[in-house]
Amino acid sequence: MNQEQKCEVPCGIYTYEHHCRMGVDIHEIFVKKSRLRVVLSYIGIVFLLVNVSQPLLAKESLSLGSVWNITFAVLVAKCFQYKPVKKESVVIMPAFGVQVEIHFWSGRVDRRFVPIGKILKPLINECVTPVTCYWSLTLLLRDEEELLLVFQKSRPPVKMLVPVWKALCTLTNSEHLGPSIVDEPNSSEE
Amino acid sequence: MVSDFFFPNFGGVESHIYYLSQCLLKLGHKVVVMTHAYGNRSGVRYVTNGLKVYYVPWRPFLMQNTLPTLFLTLPIVRTIIIREKISVVHGHQAFSTLCHEALMHARTMGYKVVFTDHSLYGFADAGSIHMNKVLQFTLADIDQAICVSHTSKENTVLRSGIAPEKVFMVPNAVDTAMFTPSPKRLSCDEIVIVVISRLVYRKGADLLVEVIPEVCRLFPKVRFIIGGDGPKRVRLEEMREKFSLQDRVEMLGAVPHAQVRSRLISGHIFLNSSLTEAFCIAILEAASCGLLTVSTRVGGVPEVLPDDMIVLAEPAPEDMVRAVKKAIDMLPGIDPQVMHLRMKKLYSWDDVAKRTEIVYDRAMQSSTTNLLDRLPRYLTCGSWAGRLFCIVMIINYLLWRLLEFLQPAEDIEVVPDIGPLQAQIQRDDLCEAQENQI
Repeated sequence: MNQEQKCEVPCGIYTYEHHCRMGVDIHEIFVKKSRLRVVLSYIGIVFLLVNVSQPLLAKESLSLGSVWNITFAVLVAKCFQYKPVKKESVVIMPAFGVQVEIHFWSGRVDRRFVPIGKILKPLINECVTPVTCYWSLTLLLRDEEELLLVFQKSRPPVKMLVPVWKALCTLTNSEHLGPSIVDEPNSSEE
Repeated sequence: MVSDFFFPNFGGVESHIYYLSQCLLKLGHKVVVMTHAYGNRSGVRYVTNGLKVYYVPWRPFLMQNTLPTLFLTLPIVRTIIIREKISVVHGHQAFSTLCHEALMHARTMGYKVVFTDHSLYGFADAGSIHMNKVLQFTLADIDQAICVSHTSKENTVLRSGIAPEKVFMVPNAVDTAMFTPSPKRLSCDEIVIVVISRLVYRKGADLLVEVIPEVCRLFPKVRFIIGGDGPKRVRLEEMREKFSLQDRVEMLGAVPHAQVRSRLISGHIFLNSSLTEAFCIAILEAASCGLLTVSTRVGGVPEVLPDDMIVLAEPAPEDMVRAVKKAIDMLPGIDPQVMHLRMKKLYSWDDVAKRTEIVYDRAMQSSTTNLLDRLPRYLTCGSWAGRLFCIVMIINYLLWRLLEFLQPAEDIEVVPDIGPLQAQIQRDDLCEAQENQI
């Protein structure tokens, strides 16, 4: 039975959309393209091209100074590099698993499927960096040391993460209510 | 609470922050600790009773201190203060760069700031002169300050030039529930003297090298147990070899804090040979375990214990040997259980928390002033230093305004307040009981 429910919540540069289709639960976070970052990425590329072409056009031999210039230009271009993300989505397939997708504006799509048996617990985690602190939705996977970030490129606000987290919890709880699974004892923190 | 020094690093400052935070949580306040990352311990951690600790991934660069960057810590400090809805920022320890920077940023953003000084510092050497200048900068615009002893208060006031009325004296305390005496009283046939400290210069390890052989020579039934590690351990090992004291001086090495009590109760006397101490929690722990203390009369040590629980000596070998003799003569009259009960009444972290609460209330009542009114306070720090400090604060203010423009405070998500863990468990139990009744 085709059943489509749609709900849309915008917040800043992020827009959250939730819809169900044919029993599959889809949560999407759309990201507005940043024009400033696009301009900066072009500036970085132009800066790199100028630094590379200058010694070629001047017909000089490659000196240490020009090597440093090119290296610096590569670093600047790398810093300003912008691969804009169009949307990140979580496709929840009950009794089957979860697929996390990253859709870029260039058309490229990165997908990763996680079978339901692999998911131990979905978590809303506080991440601390040297300059900021933010919430992220992660999946605790069995037999893996690292958490899997559900939204890898964007940092949506926590009010957008909560419904996705609840849906993932419903999925994992319904799995645990099925055939009994012996949980591994939690390892104590050092 | 902000400091470079917190668990898993262990020491007096770390214990102070932990116990004070736990008691403030019991009083119903919200407490968050901010420190730097220790190895892989990075990010948010919850310790006992849901005390939240931010291990910010800034690597320490010297003696557990974060690299001083002046302004680079502003974004993370601002984010934590806004998301946790902090009202008072309490910095600990003058030697902590993270503490000074966090207090500077908090002051720039208009929050109330309190500082606790845990150590005594000198005035003459180059390191102390620079440290005192940094302290002057931080305390020039502080709301209230706390010192752990009257001697420490005098030292802090002289070093920083802060008005004495702004400085409160709130001593440290000891967890008497953890440090209890042995149920069985030790026999006095053999006297055991316990030393547990870091074996470094300022803790008087060189004094021990002079005192121990003399005491062993004068008192054949005395033996020593030395716990702790450090650069001076080699000297103590050499002393053992030189005077053939291997059977009378036992070296334990580093003693984990959880085992300190079991080591203390194996002795009759606790020997502290520090050359400088603002307070000395170690002698509190020893007294709580029922040991008679022999200590050097330095810093705030004379303020810590009553005269019948401690024998004081000048930091000279002869006077310390005399003090050990006096302590040995006093031993038959010492009842460890009575001493422990007295310590319970004299010191408690709940009392420290209530007194610190008064300091916070006083800080909250202080008036909020803008940048132009605050800048003249820095000019009193010195003719050149004052101007430099003013420039630093102006730059900090401008950077803060830039951050407010780039990332407004409304965009920083506030952390939901779940309350202390015990209250949470009690609420869950109550809900369960109500469900069972239905």
